Amino acid sequence: MSKRKLRVAVVGLGKMGLVHAGILNILPDVQVAALCEKSNLIRRFSRKIFKGIETVDDVEKLSKLNLDIVYVTTPIPSHFSVAKAIFVNEIASNLFIEKTLAQTYEQSKQLIELAQSSAGTNMVGYLRRFYVTFNKARDLILKGTIGKTISFKAYAYSSDFLGTEKGTQTFTARGGVLRDLGCHAVDLASWFFGDLEVSSVRRVPNDYNPEESFNFTVENSGAEGEFDVSWCKKDYRLPEVGFSIAGSKGKLDVNDDEVRLSEDNGGSHLWYRHDLGDNVPFWLALPEYYREDQHFVRSAMESSKAEPDFQAAAKVDKIIDEVEKKAGERD
Amino acid sequence: MKWKRRLVKEIRPDAKALLVGDNPFHNISHLSQGRTRLRDKAMALPEHAADLIVTAVDNGANGFMFSVSETTLAILGVLRQRGEIERIGLYAIVPYAYEYVKLSTQVGGIPGLARKVAKQIVYSGNLKAMSTGLIGFIMTDPVRLLKTYLTYEISRIRSFAGKKARIESVLLHEVVTDLALAMSMDWLFKAHVGYALKMGLTPGFNTCNFVRLLSKLEDLETSPGNVTIASPFNKVGFQMSPSKRECEQALRSLSEPTLIPISILAAGYLRPLEAIEYIATLPNIKGVVAGVSKNAQASETFRLMREKLKA
Repeated sequence: MSKRKLRVAVVGLGKMGLVHAGILNILPDVQVAALCEKSNLIRRFSRKIFKGIETVDDVEKLSKLNLDIVYVTTPIPSHFSVAKAIFVNEIASNLFIEKTLAQTYEQSKQLIELAQSSAGTNMVGYLRRFYVTFNKARDLILKGTIGKTISFKAYAYSSDFLGTEKGTQTFTARGGVLRDLGCHAVDLASWFFGDLEVSSVRRVPNDYNPEESFNFTVENSGAEGEFDVSWCKKDYRLPEVGFSIAGSKGKLDVNDDEVRLSEDNGGSHLWYRHDLGDNVPFWLALPEYYREDQHFVRSAMESSKAEPDFQAAAKVDKIIDEVEKKAGERD
Repeated sequence: MKWKRRLVKEIRPDAKALLVGDNPFHNISHLSQGRTRLRDKAMALPEHAADLIVTAVDNGANGFMFSVSETTLAILGVLRQRGEIERIGLYAIVPYAYEYVKLSTQVGGIPGLARKVAKQIVYSGNLKAMSTGLIGFIMTDPVRLLKTYLTYEISRIRSFAGKKARIESVLLHEVVTDLALAMSMDWLFKAHVGYALKMGLTPGFNTCNFVRLLSKLEDLETSPGNVTIASPFNKVGFQMSPSKRECEQALRSLSEPTLIPISILAAGYLRPLEAIEYIATLPNIKGVVAGVSKNAQASETFRLMREKLKA
C-alpha cells in the first residue's frame, strides 16, 4: 500500500513562498496541495502556472483541504493574524513561519500559546542555522575550541535599499531592518551563546531614512556582544551575516561563506562551503532552503520538536522589541 | 512530440564553445563575497570587461555567457563599438535573477515587479513584445508572457550588440529552470524550447539539478542534443546536485554533446590547470565557461582550455 503524502499549503506567493513551495514539492512524501495569495493578479497566474494546485484568496478557505502543514511566507506584519487564523480554524497542526515569528514579542507569546494547544510541530525560518559555515562555527564554540567567549561582534548587512529614496512605508511593510535582516544575527547569537540581554542601543541614521541602520550591544554571562545592522551597506551585493568571536583560547570569524579559526597556540584553519559538505539532493536558490524544509517536514512526520521552534524564535522578537524600545527612548 | 533540430550558426560545427563568464563583471564570488569587496572596482567597468573578453578571444575563447543586465549590455556595446562583436558567440541567461529579486524587494514584491517590467517593455517600443504581452495578460496566458519576455530580452541584446551579433543560445536562469523542475511546470520547458527554435536560437537551461533536468527532457521527449545545458561541473563537486558521481553518470549516458559546464573553478577554489584537466575527462560537453578578472588569467585560462580540450 502506498504511503499517503503530507499535504502542504503555502500562504504568500512572494519569492520566499515560491522557493519553499518548490522544495516542498520535490521532497519525498510531500505534496504542495494548496496556495493562498491575496493578490488577484498573482492568483490568476498561479492557477495557470501551477496546474492541479488549489489556489485561494483567504487563509480560512484552506480549512476544508485536509492539510498537514502550512507555511506562512507573507510579510512580517501579517504573520500573527495569518498564523492565528490557521490555529483557530484548525487548518493544520504543523506550522512553519518565515522569520520573524511575529511583529512584536507580545504577538509571539500568543502564538506560542496557540501552538501549544494545537500540539503539532512548529518552526520559524531562521535560514542561517542551516548554513554549513554557521554549523561549523557552533560546533567549534560548543567543543570549546576557542575557550570561553569573551566578546563578539556581529553584523548583518545588505545593500537592498542603498540609494533608494523610498519612504518608511516600504521599510515598515518589510518589518523594519531589525526584523527583516538583523534578526538573523540575533538568532545565531542566541544559538551560539544562549540568552542575551540588551545593554545599549544606537541608531545610525543616514541621508535617506533613519530606520535603516542600528548598532546595539548585548550581554551574556559576562561576555559582551555588539551588533551592527544595515540594509544600505555599500558593496554588500547579497545580504550577509557574520561574527567575529574572541575566546580565551583563540578567535573565530564566520560568515555566510567561510569560517576562520585562529588558535592562541598558533593553529589556524580556514573552511569554505566547499569543505563542509554543502550539497543537497535538490538545489533551488540556496542549499540551505532544502535542509531547512527537510528538517521541518521530518520533524512534523515524527511529531518531534523542530529547531528553531516558536519558543526559540520568540527570544529574537523579545530582543528586537527591547532594542527598538531603547532606541525610541533615546530619540 | 520530438522537437526538430534546427541548424544554428556556429563558428565551426565541431568547435567547442569556449566562453568567458560574467560573474567577475557583476562582482560575484561564490567562494566568498568578502573577496569581491577587495577587488579592483575597475572590474565592473564595461571597457575593462571588454578588454578581458578580447584578450580571452585572442587566446582561444569564442563566446561570452552572460546574464542580461545593464552591466553586460554595456559590455556588448563596447565590443560592438570596437568591432569585436562578430568574433564572439553570445549565450544569454535570462532573467538576471539578482536584479529582479532586488527590484521586487524595493517595489513591494511580485505585483510591483510585474508592473515595473511591463513598463520597461512598453518603453522599449517593441511592438511585437507589447502586443503578445497584452494578449497574454488579458488571457492570463503564461506561455504568451514568456514569449513576450524573451522577445524583449533578445531585443535588448540586439539594441546594444547590433544586428550582426551572433546570439547562439538563450538560457533560462537556474532559479526559473529549477523552480519549473520542482513544480512540474512542463509547459515552460515546452514553450521555451519551441520559441527559441522558432527564433533560430538554441534553447538553453541553466540549472543546478542536471540529473533531474535530463530526466525531465526525456519525459518531454526533447532530445538533450537540441538544447544547451549550463550546469556546475568541477573536480570538487561544488554545487553539483545531487552528487558529483550522479552528475557524471548522467553525463556519460548522453549520446551527444549537451553540456556547457559552469563553475569549473568551483568559484576560485581550484586552479585553472586542475580545473581544466578535470573538464577534459568529461564526455558530451559542448563547451565550457570560465570567468576571468585579469588579463594574464584570461590568456592563461583560455590557452589551457584550447590545449587540453583540443578545441
